[in-house]
Amino acid sequence: MPPLLSVQNASKSYSGNKVLDNAWLELASGEAHALMGENGAGKSTLIKLLAGVVTPDIIDLKLNGTPIQIRSAQEAFVLGLRFIHQELNVVPQLSVAENLFLQSVYPKRFGLVDWRSLNKKAKTMLSGLGIEHIAPEKKMARLSTGDKMLVKIAAALLGEANETASVFVLDEPTAALSSEETGRLFELIGQLKTRGCAVLYVSHRLEEIFALCEHVTVMRDGKTVASKAISETKQSELIELMTGRSLQQVYGKRGESVFQDVLLDIQRLESQKLKGIKFKLFKGEIVGLAGLAGSGRSELLRAIMGVDASRHEILLEGQPFLASSPSSSWEQGLAFVPEERRAEGLVLSHSVANNVALPHLNQMSHGGVVLKRRLQAKKARALTEQVRLKARGMGQKVKELSGGNQQKVVFARALAASPRLLLLDEPGRGVDVGAKVDIYTFIRQLSQKGTGIILASSDLTELLGLCDRILILHEGKQVALVKAQGLSQAELLGLCYQTKAAA
Amino acid sequence: MTRLGRLTRRFGTLLGFLIVILFFWFNLPDTFMTARNLLNISQQVSMLAVVAFSMTIVMVMNDFDLSVGSMASLAGIVAALLFSQGSSVFLGVSAALAVGLLGGLINGVLVSLVGILPFVATLGTLTIFSGLAFFVSGGKTIFGRDIPAAFSGFARAGLPLGTLNERPLLLPNLTLVALIVLFLVWLTLEHTTFGRRLYAIGGNREASRLAGVRVRLLRLLAFVLTGLGAALAGLMYASRVASANPTQGAGLMLDAIAAVFLGMTMSEEGEPHVLATLVGVLILGVLDNGLTQMQVDSYVREMLMGGIIVAAVASSSLGKQS
Amino acid sequence: MKRLFRLSFSLALFILCTAFAQTVAVVTPYLAQPGTQFMVEAFEAAAKAKGWTVNVIDTAGDVAAVISRIEDVVTQGVDAIVINVDPAQVAAGLASAADANIPVFGMDAGTDAMLVTNVTSNGYAMATETSSYVVDRIGGAGRVVMFVFDAYPPVQKRGVVADAIFGNYPDIEIVDRITPDVSDGGIADSRAKMEAVLAANPDAGSISAVWAAWDQPALGALQAIEDAGRGAEGIVIVGIDANPQALDAIRAGGNFEASVSQDFNGIGSTTADLVERYLGGETITQATVYVPTTLVTGANVGDFVSQ
Repeated sequence: MPPLLSVQNASKSYSGNKVLDNAWLELASGEAHALMGENGAGKSTLIKLLAGVVTPDIIDLKLNGTPIQIRSAQEAFVLGLRFIHQELNVVPQLSVAENLFLQSVYPKRFGLVDWRSLNKKAKTMLSGLGIEHIAPEKKMARLSTGDKMLVKIAAALLGEANETASVFVLDEPTAALSSEETGRLFELIGQLKTRGCAVLYVSHRLEEIFALCEHVTVMRDGKTVASKAISETKQSELIELMTGRSLQQVYGKRGESVFQDVLLDIQRLESQKLKGIKFKLFKGEIVGLAGLAGSGRSELLRAIMGVDASRHEILLEGQPFLASSPSSSWEQGLAFVPEERRAEGLVLSHSVANNVALPHLNQMSHGGVVLKRRLQAKKARALTEQVRLKARGMGQKVKELSGGNQQKVVFARALAASPRLLLLDEPGRGVDVGAKVDIYTFIRQLSQKGTGIILASSDLTELLGLCDRILILHEGKQVALVKAQGLSQAELLGLCYQTKAAA
Repeated sequence: MTRLGRLTRRFGTLLGFLIVILFFWFNLPDTFMTARNLLNISQQVSMLAVVAFSMTIVMVMNDFDLSVGSMASLAGIVAALLFSQGSSVFLGVSAALAVGLLGGLINGVLVSLVGILPFVATLGTLTIFSGLAFFVSGGKTIFGRDIPAAFSGFARAGLPLGTLNERPLLLPNLTLVALIVLFLVWLTLEHTTFGRRLYAIGGNREASRLAGVRVRLLRLLAFVLTGLGAALAGLMYASRVASANPTQGAGLMLDAIAAVFLGMTMSEEGEPHVLATLVGVLILGVLDNGLTQMQVDSYVREMLMGGIIVAAVASSSLGKQS
Repeated sequence: MKRLFRLSFSLALFILCTAFAQTVAVVTPYLAQPGTQFMVEAFEAAAKAKGWTVNVIDTAGDVAAVISRIEDVVTQGVDAIVINVDPAQVAAGLASAADANIPVFGMDAGTDAMLVTNVTSNGYAMATETSSYVVDRIGGAGRVVMFVFDAYPPVQKRGVVADAIFGNYPDIEIVDRITPDVSDGGIADSRAKMEAVLAANPDAGSISAVWAAWDQPALGALQAIEDAGRGAEGIVIVGIDANPQALDAIRAGGNFEASVSQDFNGIGSTTADLVERYLGGETITQATVYVPTTLVTGANVGDFVSQ
């Protein structure tokens, strides 16, 4: 039996630079197939060829053994290919139901939109996929990133025009999803498999690949370097295949030392979204924030940083600390790596040097007024070398960098303050394996120097690998604070869900 | 994109400016490229330049100030009214600048603290300032003996540069003021932490806030500076026409925005820079001067200038798409 | 010797050229106004007959731009400049013309020492004609609405005279002294303002007359009165300038009863004559040259409509 979709000899060059070099890929029906590789390995280009938005130099495509051509997005759609991208092109002003029906026809009554029937249909569609918690009347803009993603996927899976769909390409769908939402997505993908569809699944998250996929294809430098049944490989092998080098320990070694000096003492913290927060962070300690989507992980970091208002009693090294605004927090030795790197972290159109220096301009100027540009570039260079940034120079625009390198710029900025307390929100999200290792190493180094770190993440492996203790939140309430050492992923996930039942 | 394409995109406007100059030089061989005419142009554009430079400050943050024109009118009226009541030049000028400061503060508070869109907020204050100018002046033009000679004489005097054809050659005071404002705005935007933070706000407001930039305070200050600049331009205008009229600054706002936009076509990311704004201002001024000398009909002149602005912005935006 | 010959030849040629082919620039911010258009057209026609080149420059309401354009034509080296704007506001431009020895003439501009002369209608006289017409028509008693524009000195003069004449009659009450927004030409806003006045004075006979310092507000008031269905109350409307629309209204025999015809053609052609005389070497002693005006009513409107 021929594969459902076969891609052979795929090559593509941009002005002499080969981004795809004889790459190949075979998808069988009823399987979830992982496509892996570091940034720049050629995954996105391969997907763009399939989507008909990039024209290949050479390619042999077969669908069910029949040669085909894909010259436009329209053709890809007609052939039954569906794409769900990282950038969510939803219409935030419209309701969930309307977004679901965007590609098809709204139900009508007397020539007018029949809102009741529209919402009812949408409700049925969503609950058919196990998505019960999203009301169809809700404005898209008011959903969390994770919920938006679910609606977007539901629309691609369930739209009326999608009965012919046979191949689904999901490009890092879980990058913005919590564990709970990821679980729901995996249920959807399971349904697709039983329908006989093929799912091409692009992700940096190794754990997911092993939980979900039957097969994995690894790319490096534009070539397909391996294609294996998932049962015949393991994480370390995939990392080696992707990076071309051996990675003994992704997360580094946890320190053996006993923490003594209290850095941060949150005696009380309450806000609109948070209550009952009370914990201590020691110097050199990494405390993780875990919880389901909407549990308040990001909100807690933002409250400590003074981004969102809260009522609190906090001591920082024994002195009262007032989280009044981000600017005052930076001045008092806090540093912050926000969740949405592109929207909240970086000025994309500006240079690396400007982005690194942004919170520290006063220290790089005469009396806080006239800027010392040379000093700015010098400091930025030293800092970015420390985080092993790959950039053409300090003047390169941040938007031209890969996700991993962009994250390193945000880290370099945090480092510049020699922070006492570092707040990290999803530091490994959307970052390729190589850059992740750099970033984790760097987090370790900082903690060894005595910086206290609070790390919010939806990636349980990341939390377990890096943190000394993990604080579990549910609907804004602190429900548990546990040692990470010896905790398994299942136990941690269990804690997150158990507390749901308890709360 | 090819290297050539990138160069023409960034320097297309500058190239166009040079072509315009060469065109006038060729067609007006005796009168265009003369020291006296160039000094004339510099004086003619000085008021627009000051408004455009100040406008650049808020446009760096992706904001707008539509009220600059009516603020200029109001400042002129305030000074002239005080003059007509016997105030000294110093008092009149200070009061007008204070009004600019206050007006800018109102804009800043509305935009930054209250959170109204700059377009809407300054459209509102535009109308308020204009109404206020009419109200305090009673709709009248204040002119003649009410305007002290020391005030109106300022616009007619300048730094002697020597003599040409037995007539003294002056660097006009208004030009001098515009140059000083240019230098101050350039220094502020390009070489102070304040300016760099404004650019960061323009690039990504939320990221800047999270990175510890005091976005509200800086936006407010930027609007104050723009208001101050508009008031200064209004004083220059009043000095030049030796009178004050409640509508006289109205034309400055659109020309200033046009000049900043022309300048924005010259930067890689489409962000405004004050030196580029200067080129925009000069394009407008040279076109006005040259086309008048070539006896091109006033209305054709307007259409040509509008066409050139659209062409410059269009070619730059097409260049960015390719 | 040869050089001297060439020099004198080119000098002679230069003088000849200037004597026969004068270049005159007309600079105004008000070309959109019908009166200014008539003057400029008549000036251009007269200049054409004399073989001059005329460059008409409109700055669309911007007075500082008038200075700039004066400087530009001074640089260009024109033989004479004609302005149609308050000379006090463009003194900087006049000074640059004086520096270059280029004479500047006012065409309905305003009297100023830096002008050779100013050619205009007598604004005081015109306002006297219309306001005394109103006084006569309402028998020296009634309620009058005035439309004025004090920001523009030539029009401001008219208001002053009307104030004085109405003030001379104790039984005449000024209901309102309105300055309309002229950015749309003056008709639309005057109409809106008049509608408000009518609404505030709803009784028939509560308004006896509308005195407007120029025609556009009078036309706006006429529209407001007719649309309010109060055309039969006998409200007397008068304007000044006798523009074509006003003449039509007068001929129609409605409320719009009188206006004053400025001889714009006469102002334009007289200005051209004075420029010619001055460039011919004559000294002009009169600081202001008045061109006569005529009161237009239903009786003589036919003479003007045909023009």
